[in-house]
Amino acid sequence: MAAPLKIDYAFNAEDLESSAKIVKFTILKKHQEPDAAQEHELASFEETMLPHMDAAHNLAKWLLRNEEDAQDVVQEAYLRAFKSFSGFHGSNGRAWLLTIVRNTSYTLLKKNRAVDLTTTFDEEIHTAGHESVSPATILEHSEDAALISEAMDELPAEFRAILALRHQEGLSYKEIADIMQIPPGTVMSRLARARGKLKEYLAARIGKDK
Amino acid sequence: MNCEEATDLMDGYLDGELDPVTSQTIEQHLRDCPNCEQAYKAHTALSHAISRGAPYYKAPTGLRERIQSSLREEMVAQPMRNVGRDVQPLFPRRQPGPRSILFGTSWNWLALAAAILLAAIIGWNLLPRLQRPGPDQLLAMELIGSHVRSLMANHLTDVASSDQHTVKPWLDAKLDFAPPVVDLASEGFPLIGGRLDYLDNRPVAALVYQRRKHFINLFVWPGEAAAARPAMAISHQGYQLLHWVDPDFNYWAVSDVNANDLQTFKQQFAAQTPHH
Repeated sequence: MAAPLKIDYAFNAEDLESSAKIVKFTILKKHQEPDAAQEHELASFEETMLPHMDAAHNLAKWLLRNEEDAQDVVQEAYLRAFKSFSGFHGSNGRAWLLTIVRNTSYTLLKKNRAVDLTTTFDEEIHTAGHESVSPATILEHSEDAALISEAMDELPAEFRAILALRHQEGLSYKEIADIMQIPPGTVMSRLARARGKLKEYLAARIGKDK
Repeated sequence: MNCEEATDLMDGYLDGELDPVTSQTIEQHLRDCPNCEQAYKAHTALSHAISRGAPYYKAPTGLRERIQSSLREEMVAQPMRNVGRDVQPLFPRRQPGPRSILFGTSWNWLALAAAILLAAIIGWNLLPRLQRPGPDQLLAMELIGSHVRSLMANHLTDVASSDQHTVKPWLDAKLDFAPPVVDLASEGFPLIGGRLDYLDNRPVAALVYQRRKHFINLFVWPGEAAAARPAMAISHQGYQLLHWVDPDFNYWAVSDVNANDLQTFKQQFAAQTPHH
């Protein structure tokens, strides 16, 4: 019983040693310089993803409302995206990157300012029937960036983001669902609530001005 | 369509995300109802205001360079990416010198050999189990979920009719394909109606048939790559799933009837559709 075991071990040890040396050799070489394949991967990543930097920054800024945080999140999101770039086979680089931006932002939001997110899920935000402001009045103020920006700021993070994705990036409901990680059927009702709430805030502000 | 329904769908209409039939119904309602028309105009104005008025925060200058240099740092720090991540933890950086110390003692190698042997044994046993939830199994879960929900939520059918000439046009109008619809009442599987569903990342048709007190959901969508899945029968959590294809479509029948009944159903359905 003992004899065959010994032979077996010896065989394994010898065999492994020779192949392991080769493995180690390649590792040492890899540590010294990134090879051409990696340079190529980085170039291809940058070519696919850097054009979406404005969209990434815009989303992060709407979610976080802080320039420094937004830039940190975008940088971090690009790093995360690069690390999993080999797993990206889709054609929609923008939606993919924005999903990572959204997730990275939420990680930060949850860590720093839990309040900002929880308001989003406050079901008491109820907007139906608030039509105190006429279409003409809204149109009159539609160029007033400061007014609209202030009213947007009052919205919860998730509402700000969904409005930015729809109105500034022009994304479809399907893309928005993927990015915000909500069921496709929820996108319409969430947009409706965000718009209703914004209309309410605008009405309050326009009323105050007069 | 009443005002409440119109209000609920208004955002989808505004964003052009509704199907043509529903869009037309809303359009008609807006023509007829001044209140809703006013609300819709306010909505359009608001959309316009957000698009025009809300600031777009372009990335500041310098962010691009910052990202690029951090990507380069990342690549230099972790040049192992292409070799495969799992290799790395096996040979951590605490290797003392370029070589020889680790290789000097054969005991380490015996231990390593044993570890690899153990890993191989574990792997051999675990692998089939890990592979089990493949794409078909995930789809099967999704199908059962959809079937159960359709019975639970009082939402078995969107269009309730035993007349295939009612169900088919309804589905054709909602989908970008025209699923085959046949009534199998004389074979013991009366058609109850049809429903839209969402499976395998796409909208699908769900045809609902009855077998005595049981319901059969037949999910249909165009073939594409999915047609490569071979015909199969799965039994899971007391539900029977039966899958088949014809040159145009993918079929998944889900029900709690027994497997034989479901087979009969499939044969009858296939026999009455143009391709078989």
